[in-house]
Amino acid sequence: MEYIFHIIIMLNIYIMLTLSANLTIGMANLLTMCQAAFYGIGAYIGTYFLMQFNLPFLVIAALVMLLTGMFSILISFASVRLKGDYFVIATMGFQLIVYTILYNWTDVTRGPYGIPGIPGVKLLGIYELSGVYAYLLLSLVLMGIVVYLFHHLMKSPFGRALNAIRADEMMVKSMGRNTVMLKSWAFFLSAAVAGLAGVIYASYVSYIDPTSFTLDESIFIISALFIGGIGNTKGPILGAVFVVLLPELLRFVGLPDSIAANLRQIIYGLALILVMYYRPQGIWGKTILN
Amino acid sequence: MILQLKDIHMSFTNAQNETFQLLRGVNLAVEKGKITALVGGNGTGKTTLFNIISGFEKGYTGDVIFERNNFNRISAHRISLMGIGRLFQDGQLLSGLTLMENMKIASDDKTGELPFSSLIRPKRWKDAEAKKEVQAKDIMRRIFGDDCKYLDMLNEDASAFSYGEQRLLSLARLLMGGDRLLLLDEPTSGVNPVYIDTIERIIREMVAEGLTVLLIEHNMHFVRRIADTCAYLDDGIIAKVGPTAEVLDDKNVRNSYLGL
Repeated sequence: MEYIFHIIIMLNIYIMLTLSANLTIGMANLLTMCQAAFYGIGAYIGTYFLMQFNLPFLVIAALVMLLTGMFSILISFASVRLKGDYFVIATMGFQLIVYTILYNWTDVTRGPYGIPGIPGVKLLGIYELSGVYAYLLLSLVLMGIVVYLFHHLMKSPFGRALNAIRADEMMVKSMGRNTVMLKSWAFFLSAAVAGLAGVIYASYVSYIDPTSFTLDESIFIISALFIGGIGNTKGPILGAVFVVLLPELLRFVGLPDSIAANLRQIIYGLALILVMYYRPQGIWGKTILN
Repeated sequence: MILQLKDIHMSFTNAQNETFQLLRGVNLAVEKGKITALVGGNGTGKTTLFNIISGFEKGYTGDVIFERNNFNRISAHRISLMGIGRLFQDGQLLSGLTLMENMKIASDDKTGELPFSSLIRPKRWKDAEAKKEVQAKDIMRRIFGDDCKYLDMLNEDASAFSYGEQRLLSLARLLMGGDRLLLLDEPTSGVNPVYIDTIERIIREMVAEGLTVLLIEHNMHFVRRIADTCAYLDDGIIAKVGPTAEVLDDKNVRNSYLGL
């Protein structure tokens, strides 16, 4: 049973990650390749607070979201100066820089050795969560809140404004909308939620190292998003379910681990190609990337 | 005068480092409550001039003065907030949004368009949305009549409408913004004759409501019918400006632009 609960916890974390990526990619049409960087920043900042201070989880979550969100200002700045493919490359650059810092700033991050023994979160600053059941509940509640908030945001005038930017930014500017500010908010919220996923992950597995936050991980998150679909909340959730459950299903086929790992990558790639060809908006998505 | 362009110069440098002087000192005064047409050949800088007025083009010299405010170096969205609306040459309804969403996004009321305000104060933006819906329906009735089909299509995606319909609806959408000056870039372009009559009616309705219209147009019959004043842009300057018939019947204009 614990095995199934572990999968659900990881699924909840990936739902948060795909939803956060959807806000910028699916809603504002800004393809970012650095979601894992924000995920990692959140994990490391969260680890610092968990290990150094005896703070309630809500305070740590708020601090992590705020600080991770502030890193998104760098991406917002790039989005003003760079358009299209150049912006995508800039976000890849940001991802690589964050990974390099996490890997090489050994005094703080312990680099490739990683940080072990991360304590569990304390809900009210007293009771430390531990064990799969507690994190199942915590991740379910947080995932539910994130799904609700993102669904609400997408249906709100803010979501409509992002959708309008996706269609024609110049026209939206001519309607008196500060598109730079709207996009910056999208980046901030996206980074903040990815950071929240990071702190849950760090405290749940109690060990982090930079290899969990690589460019490959960003591509993995984006693949999940594109397979599931962009522009609504259903698509990203479906995408997360697909990429998290697929390797587990392959376990039951009885293939050797070495083959199953490669087969998984091939299936991801094939699914992405087929979805892009036959359903560019994703299996359950609403819009396509312009 | 609602808008004045004073000595506008603009040049471009291409990849071969050659510089082209597109605008060589444009001077134009647009009279309040009137329809002014800006005509001229392709590539003479008419749309560039619109981009300068609406803040999308910054590499110019000269002054853009709207209601005594100098627009130089003001961002595009701020210029729009000051009361200038625009219909783009290739712009139609925003795809992926319904007709009603297209109308609402053009409103000058931005309540709920920041994430925290939409999360914390949902009642406030829902009330504002309800008002926008009433306003949008009112505009539809006023422009297209009480029994127009668009009232039943407000929740249809933009793609459900033909090119001509999108052009009409984009014009109607401009009335949501509370603007005082409208820049219309080729409103009749690619539109069938039936819709052209409707576009003419919508523009006249706009002016009757006190708006001022500056339009770029290649359909000279349309310009002759609708415009009070006409400005002819040629070789980077306003070569002729005056009552529409006088400009379009001018021997030099007919010769150089119309080829007659």
